[in-house]
Amino acid sequence: MVTDAGFLPRADLDRLIGLLREGGRTVIGPTLDDGALVYAEIGSADDLPTGWTDDAAPGRYRLVRDEGQRTFGLGPPPQGLKRFTFPSRAPLAVAERTAEGAVTFTAAVPDPPRLAFLGVRPCEVAALLVQDRVLAGGPFVDEDYRARRQASLVVAVACTRSGSTCFCASMGTGPEVTAGHDLAMTELDDGFVVSAGSRAGEQLLARLALPAVTPDQHATATAAVAGARAAQGRQVVTTGLRDRLMDQLDHPRWAEVAERCLACANCTMVCPTCFCTSTALDSDLDGAATRMERRWDSCFTGDFARVAGGNFRPRRQDRYRQWLTHKFATWVDQFDTFGCVGCGRCITWCPVGIDVREELAAIAPPYEELPTATPVVAGSTSAYSTAVVRSVTPETADTSTLALVPGDDALLAARPGQFVMVEQPGFPPLPISVSRVADGALWLTIRAAGPATTATIALRPGAQLGLRGPLGRGWDIQRAVGRDVVIVAGGIGLAPVRPIIDTVLRDREKFRHVILAYGARTPADRLYVDEMADWADRGMVVTEIVDRAGPEWLGRVGIVTHLLDQRDFHDRPATAFVVGPERMMEATVATLAERGVPRERIFVSLERHMQCGIGLCGHCQMGPFFICRDGPCFAVSELGDLFGREGI
Amino acid sequence: MNEHDFVAELGATWFGAGLSLHARARLGECARLLTHPANDVLLREGDDTPFFGILTRGRVGLRMRVPERGPVTILTVEPGDVVGWSALVPPHRATSTAVTIEPSTLIEFEPRRLRELLEHDLALSATLYPRLLEAIGRRLSATRQQLLDLYAQQAEPVPW
Amino acid sequence: MISDRPRVGVVKLASCDGCQLTLLDLEDELLPIVGRFDLIEFPEATSLRSAGPYDVLLVEGAVSTPEQAEEIVHLRARSRLLVSIGACATAGGIQALRNWTDEPDWRASVYPEAGWIESLATATPVSEYVPVDAELRGCPIAPGQLLELLTALRIGRRPQLPAESVCLACKRRGNECVLVARGIPCLGPVTVAGCGALCPTFGRGCYACFGPREEANVASLHGWLAADRSTQEVDRLFAGFTAWSPPFREPAARAVAVAETHHPRKDDPDA
Repeated sequence: MVTDAGFLPRADLDRLIGLLREGGRTVIGPTLDDGALVYAEIGSADDLPTGWTDDAAPGRYRLVRDEGQRTFGLGPPPQGLKRFTFPSRAPLAVAERTAEGAVTFTAAVPDPPRLAFLGVRPCEVAALLVQDRVLAGGPFVDEDYRARRQASLVVAVACTRSGSTCFCASMGTGPEVTAGHDLAMTELDDGFVVSAGSRAGEQLLARLALPAVTPDQHATATAAVAGARAAQGRQVVTTGLRDRLMDQLDHPRWAEVAERCLACANCTMVCPTCFCTSTALDSDLDGAATRMERRWDSCFTGDFARVAGGNFRPRRQDRYRQWLTHKFATWVDQFDTFGCVGCGRCITWCPVGIDVREELAAIAPPYEELPTATPVVAGSTSAYSTAVVRSVTPETADTSTLALVPGDDALLAARPGQFVMVEQPGFPPLPISVSRVADGALWLTIRAAGPATTATIALRPGAQLGLRGPLGRGWDIQRAVGRDVVIVAGGIGLAPVRPIIDTVLRDREKFRHVILAYGARTPADRLYVDEMADWADRGMVVTEIVDRAGPEWLGRVGIVTHLLDQRDFHDRPATAFVVGPERMMEATVATLAERGVPRERIFVSLERHMQCGIGLCGHCQMGPFFICRDGPCFAVSELGDLFGREGI
Repeated sequence: MNEHDFVAELGATWFGAGLSLHARARLGECARLLTHPANDVLLREGDDTPFFGILTRGRVGLRMRVPERGPVTILTVEPGDVVGWSALVPPHRATSTAVTIEPSTLIEFEPRRLRELLEHDLALSATLYPRLLEAIGRRLSATRQQLLDLYAQQAEPVPW
Repeated sequence: MISDRPRVGVVKLASCDGCQLTLLDLEDELLPIVGRFDLIEFPEATSLRSAGPYDVLLVEGAVSTPEQAEEIVHLRARSRLLVSIGACATAGGIQALRNWTDEPDWRASVYPEAGWIESLATATPVSEYVPVDAELRGCPIAPGQLLELLTALRIGRRPQLPAESVCLACKRRGNECVLVARGIPCLGPVTVAGCGALCPTFGRGCYACFGPREEANVASLHGWLAADRSTQEVDRLFAGFTAWSPPFREPAARAVAVAETHHPRKDDPDA
């Protein structure tokens, strides 16, 4: 509820600051520190940058003296309130391992300071609301962020001046304050029009006991804000923007802007809504204790989309496209709002002055609808529980299956296609598909692809490690009931489909023909060889092919799609599940579609760089999806033309 | 070979199903149906190709020999597919060694007579060659995919 | 995985010893390190000499003389892991500026008895002679990265050496951009992080002592900086400690050429 506005004379600003400081609350506001505008602690109104304004342009920013003597004459500071609500570095957990091999995880407990943000620009308030949706509004929550937000008050100030890089009016976030504030002020020559936007704000306003705003003051304030709006004009047309942009993934402008873009990440660092992070490890020399820390990262860095074997976004043009399409298109799919609030920081603070308004205008129209995915799991970024290795079974020279007895029984509820995060103290967490749940243990088949995976399969029975999950959306096996089932796996891709095989064979009569087509590199690289005869006995056609073989191999040699050559599903309703390297999945999907399996019933499991596993760190984004949370299993039709596209 | 049997046998294969009745009948003039035991060498890499064949039953491995690695199977030919396409393409030498992996039956065409037939019967050529190119094209694209070595270990070259 | 007590060597080629000293600068961590690693060769700290073999060899300095070119091949053969440390070993260092000059000429201008000096025409990174397993960048290297390397070695994980620009570290620290806000030329956007954005934090521009990052867009930054100052001035920014790094070579070469024209050597007959 909004109460009537009051008028706070300029000389009384300290009364407001005093009220905010009550109970040990720290007031944070714009202030000048060594010639730079920053958000920092405000003791009194004297600390505010009265008499200053700024001159912002693409790639250029200067503070200038303002004759008007406004207290809040400056636009958004170089860096926003994100520093206080979502700090650049925050502890996640401490992972410890004793000499005996016992492993423990201690999650960081949020300890937020009580803050009041004073003099917050409307775009900044809007950014807080966007981050509220991203970090605290979905199925999973960043506890540190939520705690910090709950412990803060927001005193916003409407804008009566627009900078050259401002476009809040286009994004619908300013120049007036409309939501998300406790108090809102509009600065006039001799004071402030103040209104409340929350219960806490009403109480503050009541205690200030201000005189009512005169009709003149009201008119002046309204006109001043309207002036700021008029000065901006409409710079970004948001109508249909999501679709217009997603339809231009092949626009030549992406390559052109990449000629200018430095991929330095400044735009994402100064953006008040960007939330991508990485987990940094700080271990002691023995790896006995590792502090895990959440750190700001960016989709522009070289490691951000890297997995063992390659980088999904190696080029600057891939990264720029990722960033721009996320802000203005896929963010809408994920969070039902744009990821941009029009503060203009990415324009001002781009070292080479790239202007998103110009890029959006150059990269434009028509469209196609992409579906949304439903998240289905539970978890938080630090909720590891300790698991014990029951057995380690070598499958091939570089691949072993670990049976893990989890400390938390919730992990045993993992459904086919879901994955878990495996954490050995001192090593980065590994996303691993569950290859079976049986006998109170979670079976994970892991290939030694790097140090962490190598160290994991080197564990002995009795060793401990951390598990988190089950995570992600699994296979929709319901869609296969009463139909032919075609399971196509390549290499280690047999692991994530084994739970389908287990499920189908358990209820064999519910399905019609069941075919497994498995491609491996060589005969020695085949997984689960001992089980295959059993699968065949239980009513499944098991076919195999290898890329190359010696004369001792009497089976087929060639590519996995050759196993489907003789099949035709036009008259036999079928559901297919496909896992393997992306190129192999593309070829298989094309073959299956040609042979009559509709793309709605061809499911794939995608690999991307996953760190948090619950859609909060941003690494695994692919278009509108976070692969970890919305996938990793998808119907090919859900992916639209993103499937098989380079650099997404 | 009985003409009726042959037309039916050929029509049941992937390769033969696409050929016209006229073509299948003409081809019967120089064909025979032969069954080989396992481990029979049908073609030897580099030698003249002794026949153009279509596998109807069994499995044939196409192998190449690498010093110190021994024979490597590059592809297995499954029923319906061709063996010895090089009999129709100069210089008529086998591009790999073909060995039966299990007892296998092939429709085998005598190469010299088949080539003469194709030279004079353009209708036959026009129906056979596209099918042959399709078969070779499938092998080419499969070989490209194998070349990508998609299932290979992709660890980065960092030694720890 | 490395043995329980890895045998570590520290050696130098053409360099100032500053990177080796970083190991001593670890102070609080120094004793734990000595307790866990066998420092079998480290001229700055111990008179022990070793012929190897090494589990890990940290190599400082550029390859600048014929002896060094031979020595590095021998050292490589005796090292399980070879890590080049510092701008000299990873990029050739400041002495690589001579790579664009006429070497005998230049030698004669510096040394009174040039005949006694035996040096190669170029000073180049270790990786131009032998395969290198990892690099620690910087002039000097960052103590934190050295400690992370040693920790990762002990644990057996890949060291965290982020492939990101200096700008990320700068922004995480909350700095205001010196380039945008004060017009100070800064190479942070094309330079790999690791220093913690030391220079911008103290109000000066980054001069790329950590060398180029992946996907370094030198052409774009150069063009932008040259809009407000002369091309020569911008070229000189790149002619620093990592000038010989491929992305920086073009502007650095121009800067050296201009310097030679404008500042002829004292013995230049045309001077």
